[in-house]
Amino acid sequence: MPIIVNLDVMLATRKMKSKELAEIIGITTANLSILKSGKAKAIRFSTLEAICKALDCQPSDILAYTDKQKTPNK
Amino acid sequence: MYTQTKIMKDNTTILTIVTYGIILSAVSLLLNDIRAFDFLQFEEFQDWAKTAQKNEPWFTSKNAVKWSFYAISAGIFFWRAYLLYAFTYFLSILREIEKGNYFSAKNSRYFKKIANIFIYYTINVLVLRFLLALIKKSSFNFIQEFKSEFTLLIPCALAFYILAELFERAKKAEEENELTI
Repeated sequence: MPIIVNLDVMLATRKMKSKELAEIIGITTANLSILKSGKAKAIRFSTLEAICKALDCQPSDILAYTDKQKTPNK
Repeated sequence: MYTQTKIMKDNTTILTIVTYGIILSAVSLLLNDIRAFDFLQFEEFQDWAKTAQKNEPWFTSKNAVKWSFYAISAGIFFWRAYLLYAFTYFLSILREIEKGNYFSAKNSRYFKKIANIFIYYTINVLVLRFLLALIKKSSFNFIQEFKSEFTLLIPCALAFYILAELFERAKKAEEENELTI
């Protein structure tokens, strides 16, 4: 998918663990892992809003568009 | 949610029992018809080779006509049994639903298989009936044959193709929904 998720980078910048973020935004760690690995097909605005609020960032900090085709991490 | 699941499970169980009942009664009917047909008549045919006139063309001989009649009747029995086999796929679909896999790839495949069997059955039985009429030298009215009940299986088959497609699309939608975070 040409949309890449930079959640890992943001988590590292904010020195926050995935489990912690999952608890704050109210999703399971499994779903957060799907989102991080780029396997997710879509993201709800409510989830995006919660992530932005928890990490104090903009949607563009988490999502980016690239021309290069990147296969999701397996 | 729990009540809905329970109702679904109860309905599936009832439908499974009904399907088993239909299959068993259809099998007993088929076996009864086969017994009534008396396949022992085939034994007469085995003597044909000994009694046949060598100079007579085989396709006009009485034995050949008789044998063709038996073979076609056996063919019709075979297709009836094959149609019954299609009903066993209903049980597989119900089993999948009972497990909670409503939109599994298996269900879509089973619906397609049922539709295929319905179409094969209708076409083949129609051809065999035509051949039977030819042998009996009776008139074969194509329109009349199409009016008979078994041709209803064709619209049923088309409906099953649509169901298979619907299940496939529902499966994709379900997958997409699961991957929406």
